[in-house]
Amino acid sequence: MTSALEIAGEIRAGRKSAASVLAQTEARIAALNPGLNCFTATTFDRARREAAAVDAARASGAALPPLAGVPYAVKNLFDIEAVVTLAGAKVNEGNRAAAADAYLVSRLRDAGAILVGALNMDEHAYGFTTENTHYGVTRNPHDRARICGGSSGGSACAVAAGIVPMSLGSDTNGSIRVPASLCGIFGLKPTYGRLGRSGSFPFINSLDHVGPFAGDVADLAAIYDVLQGQDWADPACAQRPVEPVAASLDRLSGLRIGILGGWFDDWADATARKAVTLAATALAATARVEMKSAEAARAAAFLITAAEGGALHGERLKTRYEEFEPQSRARLVAGSLIPAAWVVQAQRVRRQVYEEAMELFRHFDLLLAPATPVSAPLIGSESLELNGRSWPMRASLGLLTQPISFIGLPVCTAPLWPDGRGAGAMPLGVQLIAAPWREDVCLSAARALEQAGLALSR
Amino acid sequence: MRSCVMAHSPEDYVRAALALQGYRLDESQIADIVLQFSRIEALAKTMLEWPMPNESQAAPVFRP
Repeated sequence: MTSALEIAGEIRAGRKSAASVLAQTEARIAALNPGLNCFTATTFDRARREAAAVDAARASGAALPPLAGVPYAVKNLFDIEAVVTLAGAKVNEGNRAAAADAYLVSRLRDAGAILVGALNMDEHAYGFTTENTHYGVTRNPHDRARICGGSSGGSACAVAAGIVPMSLGSDTNGSIRVPASLCGIFGLKPTYGRLGRSGSFPFINSLDHVGPFAGDVADLAAIYDVLQGQDWADPACAQRPVEPVAASLDRLSGLRIGILGGWFDDWADATARKAVTLAATALAATARVEMKSAEAARAAAFLITAAEGGALHGERLKTRYEEFEPQSRARLVAGSLIPAAWVVQAQRVRRQVYEEAMELFRHFDLLLAPATPVSAPLIGSESLELNGRSWPMRASLGLLTQPISFIGLPVCTAPLWPDGRGAGAMPLGVQLIAAPWREDVCLSAARALEQAGLALSR
Repeated sequence: MRSCVMAHSPEDYVRAALALQGYRLDESQIADIVLQFSRIEALAKTMLEWPMPNESQAAPVFRP
């Protein structure tokens, strides 16, 4: 797959037209999507108009924006003008079509990118597997018997399969990092409040993040730079000035790196531990540190998620329970019954966990941990085996991501191949975690792993 | 069975809360919700036992 920046360069130089790039993308979707099931809708009419506008601009001699002609797709919780926003849910099929693009879609549109469709996900983003009862399972491009992870499974699959060079997803408890890990691509969950969320279907407002997937770090950084901006319609958006990172990825050196042990080692299998060891060696990291509040953080994140999710959907659950995803509807109703005192306690825990993490960042610039406890499980697995015991699959894939997003830290997931890159080998990502607003640190570390030949998509 | 963090069993609590909130569900659906609530309650236990000074503030709108 040609990278996003290479495509933009070819179009800018006149060696390719946006229309020809789009035609190739449409052909890849037709060839690959029936077997993978990552798209739930295509937007080819719009894409042809956008590609024609790029080609006309170039023909007229106008300067092209940075991602002119680059095809992309979005998790189907982002509003696309004139398309019904499903958020993975049959219960939303009767909603009105979106009146306008989501904020991030408008950012990419203004950067000249070409939207080719909407991507599959767990219903209302409540899951880590993208085994959607209503819209089907999305299959892992590296082994179609395995899951992609979720909830942004379609977004990771479309990039990992080489259908599009970039996509958008969301991450509340791990929904960018888990599928990036299991599909072997790069994903960025920025600091909470960094990227605008208006026009995206909410899951848990106090925890929701949005961010990009890409096949290499240069693309990821370039997309992230385009996505930054002040989204006044999102009350959580921090309205910070744009802080571009793409031009400075190789400038950071001498990072103080801590390897997260304790919870993050206990809940990792041998493959996940090997991924961390490989990354730590390449980054010359030796110090092991512990986030003692990780278990409480995970519990509190789980509670807040259940309570907010249950509250958001409570009224429709009372009248349309049968139309909701069987894998998550009982959890949503249970969440709507949580006593308020538990939620308040969870928010107090959140403050304490944050303060503990900030103390760690007095001594370290970057924290390293596995992104998932295991590599991609088989489709239909109900449990995963870890530490000699069996654990529920759908809840456990986020064990290592939840404590981090709970306190809003920026994380880049970098794809490693702990068992090599031969036939049958599966990827497993590492989390590169920085202090708030230091996405440049996460991405620079990812770049170092990429340059070492360790972190690669394929 | 009586729970460690609730005065009544999770099943009693779930049945009462569902009725008060106006849910109309069958027995198998209620059983699924009791199972999920029991899992949430088990997780809550680890968090509710977390040492917390009185002056500790919540972070309802989180701005790192």
